[in-house]
Amino acid sequence: MIDLHGIISAYRGSPELGALVEGRTASALTFAGRYRLVDFALSNMKAAGIHNVDVVMQKDYQSLMDHIGSGKDWDMSKKSGGLSLLPPFGMGGNKGAYSGLLEALLAAEPYLRRMKENNIVIMPGNLAINIDLDAVFKAHVASGAGVTVVCAENVDNGECHKYTTDEQGNVVETLYQRAGSTVAGVADLEVYVVNKEVLLEMLDFSAAHMRYSFHADGIREYLKRGGKVHVYLHDGYTKQINSIADYMKANMDMLCREHRKSLFPVERPVLTKDRADVSTYYSEESQVINSLVSDGCYIEGVVKNCILAPGVHVGKGSYLENCIIMRDTYIGDNVTLKYVISDKYARVETSKELVGSDNIPVVIPRAYTT
Amino acid sequence: MKKTCIAMLLAGGQGSRLYALTRNVAKPNVPFGGKYRIIDFPLSNCANSGIDTVGVLTQYKPLMLNSYIGNGQPWDLDSSDGGVYILPPYMVEGEKGNWFAGTANAIYQNIEFMENYNPENVLILSGDHVYKMDYADMLREHLEKDAALTIAVQQVSMEEATRLGIMNVGEDGYINDFEEKPAHPKSDLASMGIYIFNYEKLKKYLIEDEADPNSSKDFGKNVIPNMLRAGEKMWPYRFEGYWRDVGTITSLWDANMDMLSPDLINLFDEEWPIRSRTAVRPPHWVGENAEVNHSIITEGCEVEGKVENSVLSNSCAVGEGALVTYSVLMPGAKIGPGAVVEYAIVGENTVIEAGAHVGTQPDGSEEWGVATCGPNITIGEGAVIPAGAMIYESVEGK
Repeated sequence: MIDLHGIISAYRGSPELGALVEGRTASALTFAGRYRLVDFALSNMKAAGIHNVDVVMQKDYQSLMDHIGSGKDWDMSKKSGGLSLLPPFGMGGNKGAYSGLLEALLAAEPYLRRMKENNIVIMPGNLAINIDLDAVFKAHVASGAGVTVVCAENVDNGECHKYTTDEQGNVVETLYQRAGSTVAGVADLEVYVVNKEVLLEMLDFSAAHMRYSFHADGIREYLKRGGKVHVYLHDGYTKQINSIADYMKANMDMLCREHRKSLFPVERPVLTKDRADVSTYYSEESQVINSLVSDGCYIEGVVKNCILAPGVHVGKGSYLENCIIMRDTYIGDNVTLKYVISDKYARVETSKELVGSDNIPVVIPRAYTT
Repeated sequence: MKKTCIAMLLAGGQGSRLYALTRNVAKPNVPFGGKYRIIDFPLSNCANSGIDTVGVLTQYKPLMLNSYIGNGQPWDLDSSDGGVYILPPYMVEGEKGNWFAGTANAIYQNIEFMENYNPENVLILSGDHVYKMDYADMLREHLEKDAALTIAVQQVSMEEATRLGIMNVGEDGYINDFEEKPAHPKSDLASMGIYIFNYEKLKKYLIEDEADPNSSKDFGKNVIPNMLRAGEKMWPYRFEGYWRDVGTITSLWDANMDMLSPDLINLFDEEWPIRSRTAVRPPHWVGENAEVNHSIITEGCEVEGKVENSVLSNSCAVGEGALVTYSVLMPGAKIGPGAVVEYAIVGENTVIEAGAHVGTQPDGSEEWGVATCGPNITIGEGAVIPAGAMIYESVEGK
């Protein structure tokens, strides 16, 4: 069995996702129609043969817990170990949001000290990625580093942490790239493999100095102490979802076959909670162009460049273009929607017209009737 | 522990009339309606009717069926005080094991299984029917009429009646006669092959039938006529909903086409869901130049050509310029660019290469029929498969 323990960080609030994260965390957001963002981290950990996985959450976790359940859809419902959901143990000394990954991990410290594995992989729950964690782990062991950081050559968010490396791929300098600026190096995807004793050392430092940033207080301090940090380059499609613009872009990217194959390869499937819907029905009047359509939809109208989640109804004479429609949305007859994100259970009544634009889509909140 | 009713599902049939599709799987395991296997219908009906103990009797090519059913979890049949059990033929002390010799013998050989549950009634089902039915309602009528046996029946036309098992009913409403394929039917009530027996009666007649060396050990031919002769109370349960036997290529194709008419059988019904075990695949993608009309499509498909009046199961591909019309694509079937598939059934993971032509439109001739390509074969570039063909080996291209 792989000597690697999994931690999925799903504690972070994402204010720029607006109405989409009302009552849920970004990790629980619908992605590419039938998935939730957290499915990527869970499925990648399962594929690598990781037996024990913790999900660290802080608030608005109801929707995430409902989706993950016992973890059986990822084969993580086990008699010994398996999946642990870690909401905060009461508020304790911490009155507000966790100010960094290290503070979130401190809240789960008793778990971390008890774990049997000697290495931990940490992944954010809101990252769309499909990565061979077994290969990352092997590279980590081969490098002899205490920390391995998964990086990409480029990320399009602008803001990110970056690293310059030597010829062996070991970190020389850590940098921060602000939005609108460009600094040298490769971009941090916030996927880490850490030796257990290095992580516990970071937590001791963090608690003693009340400094909780994984980059500034974890990685940078570890480098200062003479530690070795290795970079693993990932070249497939990847995007962290922190804003409505990210959400729109990443979903629409899935209409491109190359990106879709990169996130959903047959050999490393992304698993999710299965609703067991029926096949989608297309009526004689329907017309669907360049769209991703989940099971359980009923389509009588025109759908162009859209992502449809399971159980969506599109009525006669309706026209949808560049929309993301979440599960069980009911769209009546003769409706026009362009650049609309509709949250689940929404209803759009007959003859309505809603038009957003590519950078400011209209968001219909959950269970809202227009 | 005592159960009011358990179900025994006969799933051992070879399905010889579907032979291109059932060379390696039992008939109940044949894909159906985009998302399903035929056995999903009786299993889901059991779960929805509150019957939590189901014995599945397997015999012909059971491996795929065993792994498909697994612990019954997809149908919520993985309960701690019941569940779904695969019941293959087995060896007994001092004798060689016996294959199931007929429907009645198959149940007879599993009396020991049924005894474990001490049931009051036993529901006998076939694994080759497509329908939604509330067995709890049938059981209620069975108990109300104090019947030894209740048989589900459906009204058919007098012409169809000559090809089916027909129940004649007396003035009191009970069955007083049973005729297999009568030349001059006296009634239009056809048996659907769905029975609820009082368990003690079932056991008695099975043991008697087993001892009869001249019996062919069949419910329709032996057990039911014996019960009639003995004057047992037998009640017809009239079922009016959609029900199809899918034992032939034509009926399998017809029933698949029925899935395109939600008024005939509504699979979107949340009150009566039909469940299945499927791999998670991404939503299906319909391309820029694709055209889809009056069809059902399942996740994992990639459609770039034209699809009309067809059923696409999961993970199928239809290449650019290809046409799929009035056809059924089973999971993983791939239709190459420019190929034409009309009035056809294409088996699991079969590849129809570019420019090939499978099937033709009905031409009014006697010989015309649906073309069938079995699973895991390749129909080469430009090859032509005529109407009515049954192909189970790869065909080279031109």
